[in-house]
Amino acid sequence: MATIAEINITSDITDSISFSISETMTMTKADGNIDLEQTTGLAQRTYSGSTDQVDLITIANENITVNGANKVYIRNTGTDKTKHFKITLGQAGGNSPTDTEEIGRLYGGDWMLFPYDAYPLDADDTDGTTVGHANNVDICVAPSSTDKMTLEYAVFHQ
Amino acid sequence: MATTTCTLTLESDMLSSPINISASTTITKADLTTGLELIEMGRGTIAESDGSKTAEFGLPTALGTRKAAKLFLVNKATDPTFYIDVDLHDTHVGRLYAGDWMFVPWSMTDVAAEWVIEAEPSGAVCPYEFALFQEPQTLVTHS
Repeated sequence: MATIAEINITSDITDSISFSISETMTMTKADGNIDLEQTTGLAQRTYSGSTDQVDLITIANENITVNGANKVYIRNTGTDKTKHFKITLGQAGGNSPTDTEEIGRLYGGDWMLFPYDAYPLDADDTDGTTVGHANNVDICVAPSSTDKMTLEYAVFHQ
Repeated sequence: MATTTCTLTLESDMLSSPINISASTTITKADLTTGLELIEMGRGTIAESDGSKTAEFGLPTALGTRKAAKLFLVNKATDPTFYIDVDLHDTHVGRLYAGDWMFVPWSMTDVAAEWVIEAEPSGAVCPYEFALFQEPQTLVTHS
């Protein structure tokens, strides 16, 4: 049950130095060579009428292993480069960013793939100490426009 | 105009209906269709004994605030138990195990939005490679 992700980046930012990046990863469980076996599947959400920050992935609602080798894929399926989704980690409460850390902004067509610890409230760190996070590390999104905007996403996890 | 294209091909047979994702984006400046024009890339090594460190590619710049930077990072270790713990300031993001890579946008919201990396577990040594694509910076008057 393999899940394989390959990235290719090509750029002509410089005239004198051309380069490309190519990497392939097979998603495995932590500490070993066993393939990841669970996924949310590929899903899609459409937002309109509000720019409030909301949860995309709520840890409490998912069975994602904390500190696992989980991976998250998100893509803004739009084509408009003037509209973006703000992607944050933390707690999106009360329709406003109460305690979140902003990763970045996905403009039209942009995608991201990143590892995900899925840290809940006060989870134990790798060294056994308790991390004093006041909130779960949910994955939150905020559209930049009240126009209809869509993203697709998937979580591959232990 | 500089053109930087980032393509993802993802295939998974976890489900009875396989997941096939093909995504490609030409990364551009914030709210514009013109390409990013600044790149910083390189290679480093972090050992568990180093503790947690702000990555050399992980320092936000005021000129990059809330724009459209993109970061690529790959753990080049070969021992499957060696991983790089990746944090964004004080928030846990995830673990890059040997061979794992990540590609994310980076808002650089403020000086406290730095990327922090740490090799784990005990005895781990993780070579890594990175590429950071940014908007051009305004030249400053010399001293």
